[in-house]
Amino acid sequence: MGQWKTHTPEGAFDVLENDCAIKSYIEKKISQVYAKSAYFEIQTPMFEFYDVFAGGGMEVDQTTMFKFFDTRGRILVLRPDFTMPVARVCATKFKNSDFPKRVCYIGSAFREGNTVAGAIQKQFTQAGVEFIGSNTPEADAEVIALTIRALLACGLKAFQLDLGQAEFFKGIAQQAGLDEKITEQIRMFTDQKNVVGLSQLVQSINIDTDVKDLIIQLPNLFGKLDIVQQLKNKNIGERATAALNNLTQVYNILKDYGLQNYIAIDLGMVQGLSYYTGVMVKGFTHGVGFPICGGGRYDELIGGFGKDIPATGIAIGIERVISALGDAKNTIPLPRVDVIVCYENNRDVAYKVAEGMRKTGLVVQMEQNYEGIYEFAKGRGVGGIVNIIDSEKIKIINLLDGDVKTTSISELLGV
Amino acid sequence: MDYLTVALAKGRLAKFSVDLFEKIGLDCEILKEKSRKLIFTDEKNKFRFILVKAMDVPTYVEYGVADLGIVGKDCLLEKGKDLYEVLDLKFGKCKMCVCAKKSYVMSNTFIKVATKYPNIARNYFSTEKKQTIELIELGGSVELAPLCGLSDVIVDIVESGKTLHENNLEIIETICDISARLVVNRVSLKMKKSRITKLVEGLGGIEYEDISGN
Repeated sequence: MGQWKTHTPEGAFDVLENDCAIKSYIEKKISQVYAKSAYFEIQTPMFEFYDVFAGGGMEVDQTTMFKFFDTRGRILVLRPDFTMPVARVCATKFKNSDFPKRVCYIGSAFREGNTVAGAIQKQFTQAGVEFIGSNTPEADAEVIALTIRALLACGLKAFQLDLGQAEFFKGIAQQAGLDEKITEQIRMFTDQKNVVGLSQLVQSINIDTDVKDLIIQLPNLFGKLDIVQQLKNKNIGERATAALNNLTQVYNILKDYGLQNYIAIDLGMVQGLSYYTGVMVKGFTHGVGFPICGGGRYDELIGGFGKDIPATGIAIGIERVISALGDAKNTIPLPRVDVIVCYENNRDVAYKVAEGMRKTGLVVQMEQNYEGIYEFAKGRGVGGIVNIIDSEKIKIINLLDGDVKTTSISELLGV
Repeated sequence: MDYLTVALAKGRLAKFSVDLFEKIGLDCEILKEKSRKLIFTDEKNKFRFILVKAMDVPTYVEYGVADLGIVGKDCLLEKGKDLYEVLDLKFGKCKMCVCAKKSYVMSNTFIKVATKYPNIARNYFSTEKKQTIELIELGGSVELAPLCGLSDVIVDIVESGKTLHENNLEIIETICDISARLVVNRVSLKMKKSRITKLVEGLGGIEYEDISGN
């Protein structure tokens, strides 16, 4: 027997009955919320050409992708995310459609290695929405509100969506006239919330004192909306000001929807700046050390596939939501057998009875009678046993209260 | 109220960390007792301390089982985890260096590098120096490698330089400065904002020279 015959590869897992029921339930809840808001599902291939995820400065890190070849030697990858394939669809299949377009997706994505914090599971499940063909704050607010409703539908209560704005940091760097190398160092320190490193770095460069103070403050610019308001009268330049105005507009729309309690601001959100062009979103909750959802506006991504279309979207990590649910998972119905129909000789009758009971909505298992079936059923929490005695007579054993009664098939099925 | 969990690197750094926490008014008496326990709780202030291997601190914090951690920059660089690195605590100062036998002349073609820090060594040589190397990963006493001819150079932390000197080795290049850092899980900082901010401000206000062992 091969050494790995009984194993699954690291980062890939079997999902057994109860966990599977929970996962399907969560996926269904999220899909329902998406569909009710007119986001309809599209499916893209599980594997794509490597080129879809490479190039244009917006590529996925190639060390994180599972790669293989087709018979013509072209490089294929297992999809590491959904946004790129959706962008490809938008620039090609949807090229002549009416915009805006709303789509959603759900399925497995794959990432290798630990270089991406998201990859504790190399195979993981994502559900997400994309609002394509609109660059209004309404569109950003719509996908954020939709994500909040989806998380609530899963049973999550205490969670928070942080909003950032990619243009804010880019604007500050532009206003200060920083070169690329310094900008990247500042971005890194800001991302790590390393105030000390940031202030040392900023002291060494020759820029306006006000701008220096602002840059040193970047890591601490997270909290409620007053973070944005306190920057109102600072000299941050047109680009950053426009970013803050946009962020405030999105916030106000969410406030109109009554969702402001789920929203926080983090102006120090500076990951993925080559990809995002506007509002960015990251969701947090207690008990999970990683974000449960993430996304944002990516107005330049689809252009890389041949047609300039603005878009915004957010994806939810299904496994992370499940681990965040904790005890709230206990209310999710698990698979169970209501009735076992058992028989000795009257197979045909048993089949008819089982089907009749299934039509009423019960979960029915059919078994040829064997010794110990009673104990088996009791141990598994089965509700009752229907014993086929002959073509007309049956015995019903209620396992919950121990009641036993003999009756006829026509009476049981009401025919 | 939830506990705030702090992962401390076992050993010298843990001792410095205890001094730090006492300065801002936490009860760390239990941590000073000689024992083999790995989890300590300060019920009054709702703090929990866990003692883990230095190299594991970034992992505990990344997964969020610890909200914060105190660990050397060497471990952070080696592990490359996605954490907030909010404070330089300025103790446990040393340098990450490339060292070799005295009289060794660095080759600019192919060299053999022995180290406990494979990621730091690989990054330094491949990204910064654009040099191809053979990496030899060792568990300790790395200084032996060039002496026995196992490698040309080593990448390791250098504190006083005493071990190097006694083994006839010397620093040929400095990669970066190392000191203890306070790291925070990315979700914890948001979900437990006020308590963590208070702690960071407290620790940030200490005069570190008082306690630094250098």
